[in-house]
Amino acid sequence: MRIRPIARDDLDGLQALAQQAGVGFTSLPDNREFLAGKIESAARAFEERTPVDDRLYFFVLEDETNGELAGCCAIEGQVGREVPFYNYRLGTLAHSSVQLDLHRTIDTLFLSSDHTGDAEVCSLFLRPEYRGEANKHLRNGALLSKARWLFMAQFRDRFPQKVLAEMRGVFDENNVSPFWESLGKHFFPMDFNEADRLTGLGQKSFIGELMPKFPIYTTFMSEEARACIGQVHRHTRPALEMLKKEGLRWEGYIDIFDGGPTVEAYIDDVRAIRNSQLYQVEVSASAPQESVSRWLAASTQMLNFTASWIGRGPADSSTIVLTPDEAKRLGVSTGDAVRLLET
Amino acid sequence: MLVIRPVTLADLSALEQLAEHAVPRLTNLPANRDRLEERIVRSQEAFESEIEYPGNEHYMFVLADDSRNEVLGTATIRAQAGAAEAYYTYRQETLIHASQQLNVRREVQTLALSHEVSDATLLCALSLNPRYKGTSAESLLRRARLMFIAQYPERFSRILAVAFPGYLDSQNESPFWESVGRHFFARSFQEMNHIAGVRSKSFIAEVMPQFPLYLPLLTPQARAAIGREHPAHEEALGEMLAEGFVRSRHVDIFDAGPIVKAERERLETFRRAAWHPVRIRPEHALPDAEPAMIANQTLSDFRCIVARYALSPTGQLMLSPQHAARLGVEEGRAVLAAPLSLPSAVDALDEGEM
Repeated sequence: MRIRPIARDDLDGLQALAQQAGVGFTSLPDNREFLAGKIESAARAFEERTPVDDRLYFFVLEDETNGELAGCCAIEGQVGREVPFYNYRLGTLAHSSVQLDLHRTIDTLFLSSDHTGDAEVCSLFLRPEYRGEANKHLRNGALLSKARWLFMAQFRDRFPQKVLAEMRGVFDENNVSPFWESLGKHFFPMDFNEADRLTGLGQKSFIGELMPKFPIYTTFMSEEARACIGQVHRHTRPALEMLKKEGLRWEGYIDIFDGGPTVEAYIDDVRAIRNSQLYQVEVSASAPQESVSRWLAASTQMLNFTASWIGRGPADSSTIVLTPDEAKRLGVSTGDAVRLLET
Repeated sequence: MLVIRPVTLADLSALEQLAEHAVPRLTNLPANRDRLEERIVRSQEAFESEIEYPGNEHYMFVLADDSRNEVLGTATIRAQAGAAEAYYTYRQETLIHASQQLNVRREVQTLALSHEVSDATLLCALSLNPRYKGTSAESLLRRARLMFIAQYPERFSRILAVAFPGYLDSQNESPFWESVGRHFFARSFQEMNHIAGVRSKSFIAEVMPQFPLYLPLLTPQARAAIGREHPAHEEALGEMLAEGFVRSRHVDIFDAGPIVKAERERLETFRRAAWHPVRIRPEHALPDAEPAMIANQTLSDFRCIVARYALSPTGQLMLSPQHAARLGVEEGRAVLAAPLSLPSAVDALDEGEM
């Protein structure tokens, strides 16, 4: 299994992924034209033919045994440049009066575009047949998530100061978002899925046009809705944990539709980016093999960027020994550099 | 005989009773002896001062039955609603949220804190002994203030406003307060009203949410209460609408009661008020005529009564000796008269605000 940039001939594979991901996965709608555009945009980004603030680095997880796409993930170079990027910022206002013996704090939601210009890790999807107990040893989910940090570390100058990730918010057993029911519903003449779908298609200007511009006092929302602020869907908890381990934190920003948290960090502080290092490759058939992959390796070229698990750590402070299979998978040979991360 | 006159310190106990029995209790008429005493003193100062333009004056009147030496009602004019502090209201506003992309256009209603009514002259703090509800005495108490303003226009604003107590439910709770103010103060409406009366309302308003409130986020009960008067004040509101006041976009910040406004020249009482020299005739010799409010022109001894609008062919107003005595006028002096009855009410929103 390896991560590589999406290619122009991946359209069928990507559409198959989109179909499997379903409606909840809004950045990957089952819309061939939209997906073709996305691939073209990504291909040009890797070819460095688009401005640095308008690059979507879209990766796929490839199963080399059959050439199928097992999943995908992406990095948005800078959000909010082409279309606005909105969040609510959870704030606090004090309502206080000594004479009235009153001191209360009221939570408020301010519409914000504070994250304009930040990078975003997004669009992570892994097909069900590559997940689960039987595939646990492959660590595909972690590969999809962490490969992006190696890419950012390698091409640090293409990215801004900060990175964020938007996490899916809470939905009840009927797949209804209490946050949406108490807030968005009053302002959008559509249901949650439709609003979310339009956002996924990048048609976000309606948000600014229809959303309340003044801050919302959360005290006017239902208790269920308030309880959703900054909370993730239970299926999203593992992903959130993984990001937290890298140092991403919730700073009070939430999704305007479902109230899910936006976690963020300074890119230079992300654990994987701080800890990854370059080593020189030595290919050898007799390299030792660990039972569980702990070491992630990535090539150092943009167009041919590749990342995968390898069977061991570095031999010394400057050398990593790869098996011929691993070297082939990463597209490297003896003397090339690779970036390594211990996980 | 019933007469409107400026309040005096001798009226303090009666005022306290009126404050306590006001339905509902009024913020601007606190049932607190010290505060009421301050108000009387302040009112006396206003009546006795030479004033060229409206400021922080309160003119407080009482409705008195001198034959029984009884005070039956009170009403106040605040020359400027927000003279010393701002006068806070919520202004009902409409924002258009439109998206070309989605081909939708939505109107979103908000309530925004406003100080716009601060410059208006406010008719307020009216409480009447319930025995007299629905009588001409009630109209007199309410509208004698207009007769006073008509005589001393320099002391008041061109715009007059009246804030009516807002809707309360059968538990005497304000649905609007429960949905809005309570979140910020954690106190009941009645408690807050009490504090506001003893201190001041703007003092509390300063702790109110400063950003506009989106109506869709309020409870349906609270939304229904916006601009709705207290059931006990329906007739009073009707009378002021007939007088020529119009509903404004402003409502009270605590209970969302309606605030009506008018340019004073457009009010029936102002338009129809006329000066007449007095001619005194015995009661039995007075011709029948429609009732009118009749006021003398003595500032600090202001008197206003209801009597028949009996004019002589030469335009003199014929008064009985008792009425003339009550007004403190002699034959030949001028009085201001305006018909008590009003054309039927037109419930309209102020066009100037559209």
